[in-house]
Amino acid sequence: MHKCLESKKSSQANLVQIRGQKRRMMVYAARNGSPEEARSISLSGVGIRVLVDNKSWGFSSTNRLDQNAVDLTLENGLKLAKASSRLRKRATPYEPCEPVTADFLTPSRKPLDSASIEEFAKIPLEACSGAQDAKGHLAEAKAACLSIEDDKYFVSSEGSCIHQQITRLMLFVDVIAKIGSVICPASENVGHSGGMELFDEALPYSIGKTVAEKANRLLSAKAPPSGHFTVVVHPTLCATLLHEAIGHPLEADLALSGGGFGSQFGKNVSSELVTIFDDGNIAGGLGRFQFDDEGTECKHTILIERGILRSFMHDRTSAALTGVCPTGNAHAWDYSVEPLIRQTNIGLEAGAYSLEEMIEGVKEGLFLDGTFGGQADPSADFTFGFQSANWIRDGKIAEQLRGANVSGNAIGVFKTIDAVGKDVVLRPGACGKYQFAVQGRVVPAIRCRIMVGGTGGT
Amino acid sequence: MNIESNWDRLSSTVHRAEEKLGRMNIALAEAFYTNYETTEVSIRNSEILTQDRLQDSGVGFRVVLHGNKIGFACTNSLNERNISETASKAFSIANAGPKTPMFALPDSQKPTSVYGLYDSRVEEMSLEDSVEIAAQAIEAAERVDNRVTVKDGRVIFTYGHRGILNTIGVDREERETRAVIYLAASGKHNDEVTSICYAFDFTRRANLQPQQIGEKAARRAIAMFEPKAIRTFNGPVIFGPEAVSNQLFDVLIDALSADNVRSGHSAWSEKLGQSVASGNLTVIDDAILEGGFGSRSFDDEGCPSKKTCLIQDGKLESLLHHATSAKSLGAENTGNASRSSGELDIVGMIAGRGYKTQPEIYPSNLMIQPGTETRNDMVEDMKQGVLIDSMAGFAQKGSGVISAQLSRAFHVENGEIQFPIKGSMVMGVGFDWLKKISSVSRETERFQNAILPCLQVEDVKVVGS
Repeated sequence: MHKCLESKKSSQANLVQIRGQKRRMMVYAARNGSPEEARSISLSGVGIRVLVDNKSWGFSSTNRLDQNAVDLTLENGLKLAKASSRLRKRATPYEPCEPVTADFLTPSRKPLDSASIEEFAKIPLEACSGAQDAKGHLAEAKAACLSIEDDKYFVSSEGSCIHQQITRLMLFVDVIAKIGSVICPASENVGHSGGMELFDEALPYSIGKTVAEKANRLLSAKAPPSGHFTVVVHPTLCATLLHEAIGHPLEADLALSGGGFGSQFGKNVSSELVTIFDDGNIAGGLGRFQFDDEGTECKHTILIERGILRSFMHDRTSAALTGVCPTGNAHAWDYSVEPLIRQTNIGLEAGAYSLEEMIEGVKEGLFLDGTFGGQADPSADFTFGFQSANWIRDGKIAEQLRGANVSGNAIGVFKTIDAVGKDVVLRPGACGKYQFAVQGRVVPAIRCRIMVGGTGGT
Repeated sequence: MNIESNWDRLSSTVHRAEEKLGRMNIALAEAFYTNYETTEVSIRNSEILTQDRLQDSGVGFRVVLHGNKIGFACTNSLNERNISETASKAFSIANAGPKTPMFALPDSQKPTSVYGLYDSRVEEMSLEDSVEIAAQAIEAAERVDNRVTVKDGRVIFTYGHRGILNTIGVDREERETRAVIYLAASGKHNDEVTSICYAFDFTRRANLQPQQIGEKAARRAIAMFEPKAIRTFNGPVIFGPEAVSNQLFDVLIDALSADNVRSGHSAWSEKLGQSVASGNLTVIDDAILEGGFGSRSFDDEGCPSKKTCLIQDGKLESLLHHATSAKSLGAENTGNASRSSGELDIVGMIAGRGYKTQPEIYPSNLMIQPGTETRNDMVEDMKQGVLIDSMAGFAQKGSGVISAQLSRAFHVENGEIQFPIKGSMVMGVGFDWLKKISSVSRETERFQNAILPCLQVEDVKVVGS
């Protein structure tokens, strides 16, 4: 990589960034008590990004690591950048960056490589056995444990040389309960940056059991109603709401493309109970990095402060365009793709209410729990799924209801927040904005008004 | 080094590693290997944002020990030593690995010939050509109306090879090309930004039509100006092809996958030979369709491709199978083993597709047989209803419950489109909708793994705001 950087070719560019990566992943999955999948993935490659004529980017990647292939990749990057240079109307500004030399290793008490294959393979089996011990009408219990070990190098023509070793571990449990034609799914995920210590507290057996009990409970529940409701949103679901509905519109590339939050800078965009941040340094967060993939240090960025829009999440280009400092949000899923503006660990600061107090204040409404993921567009319109619900009647949790979707416009919905919970949890999350990413979310429960799309009645 | 010699070298190294596995104490072994070069130009806010050139090749080994214990390992570090080590790793993982009692792989059968999977012009396409195509698409969209912005878009050209090899006689390779253009446009009018409107084409040939796609995306965006809210409504809905591809497609493949039937949570577990949909619904999986985006001469386990009728006039005739599901249910293998399934499964998305994964069941080209009416006829015959061209949401696995936000939808009254709809959701059970299809359009649209018409469904609930 260093040789390639010093080559004559690289002097044709204003900026060259080379990212080399080795990635090892293990997947162990179990289904209905038996092992289902054992998979080892070993990948390596180089991605090179160049800026030409101060306005045009080219990116090229390869899985071949010999000097010829890396040089050819640089050449391709240059060709691509030049090919579109004439079509670009404006310069692409780029916030300068002090060269850094750094070495980062995800802290962990029980490093991933200390676990044996057998130890790893046991985790999804334990989750399955927990689910099966819940009895009831379980049609299927699936669990998958996945580890990612990344060894990443970043070198740039600005003189940076950054080495980061990031390790992450996740467990996904999905169950389906079924009686006749009535089918109820439920799921739970745990995950962190770190090692096997994840399972010291999050016991796979208990996770499996809790999820299966929930699916069984939903079999006898009714479908939720449709219409606008006051809802108390559990942190697991708040994580999706925060990521999809507020997180995406606060990414500078989406924000500045019109609609959503783009024109709202310094204005009141949310309830004054709401303070939102993004923080790449949250211990254990799945989006924990010391540096992003443009060589910017990750930091704590206040995005919305007591309802007022303070900052977007930036890469070095969007920062230069708006005259601010980059926030360390340029991340690439792996060497083969270019960095994009991504959330790291997005968070909502704790409020003053306990969950009980939030429910007490609702005469008629819904308590929404669990997530099935979601999506949002640049105008901040979102849709996402919840796993289960309860009616709230006269300040008390009433009958259980099944899952459905909620939708709305984030700006509208966040203005209706009238209570934020005091207990904050760190949740794992994933996102598919053009490329994949795993991220953290720091979330309490909230109370707001939202449109629920259920198939049931009142 | 060119792509051909890279491929030959990869292929012969994989063959040597597989031979070595064959000499070990195993029941079966398989290697799936690919080499692709991709040029991708991306558009953001009506400008060309980046252009990428990606080269990726790799191999995944599946090793099956006696007693059907299975291990899988893959790598993209393709020297002799790494490939051989990866094969051994699959072997050692299999030792601690899962048992699949009815595991099977296809054996050597006469291959099918499928035409139109390769177009040399895709391979010859220069970087400049790709950038030019993206620029033409943007221009075409802006020419229709200057209030339209192409928010996001891609022009993608891919060429390369895939190969499959197993120890019971399968040894096949195929050369293929793909071209994709995809635009997401939105318009701004009276300070109101429309929802995102898509236009795209998936093809095997180099002749993308950037002007046509650009104009289509722009027209779709301006049709969304001045949207109005509607009251909650129960009645006929026409789902356009894109809307059918959004959630109804997911409901269909979830129920049709033999793996889901095997594990007992498909809603159609015991429905073979029975009526599952309205009599005007016929669904085919056609992997041998000439030039089809999802066509191939063999599936990702090496089973020769075929054309399978899944639903005939509303009656469930067959499920989608790979070798293992076919063996365990005593059915014919339909050749639907896929390593590039579009399922939104999170482990699959993290771990990756292609050579990085074992096959799952997924359609090749899922085709809903077109009807006789035109889309215009369907609208003209509608007294009061909703036309949904695109929606965003989810279909729940197993139950088929759909709830989705309407992203491109129109209110129809007295046979005419009245206005675009804002802030509404559609909900129901996909399986009920399939039983209430009253009309199927003559026109179809192509998607990645499907070719779909418009479907009119009676008695659908749309929740207004």
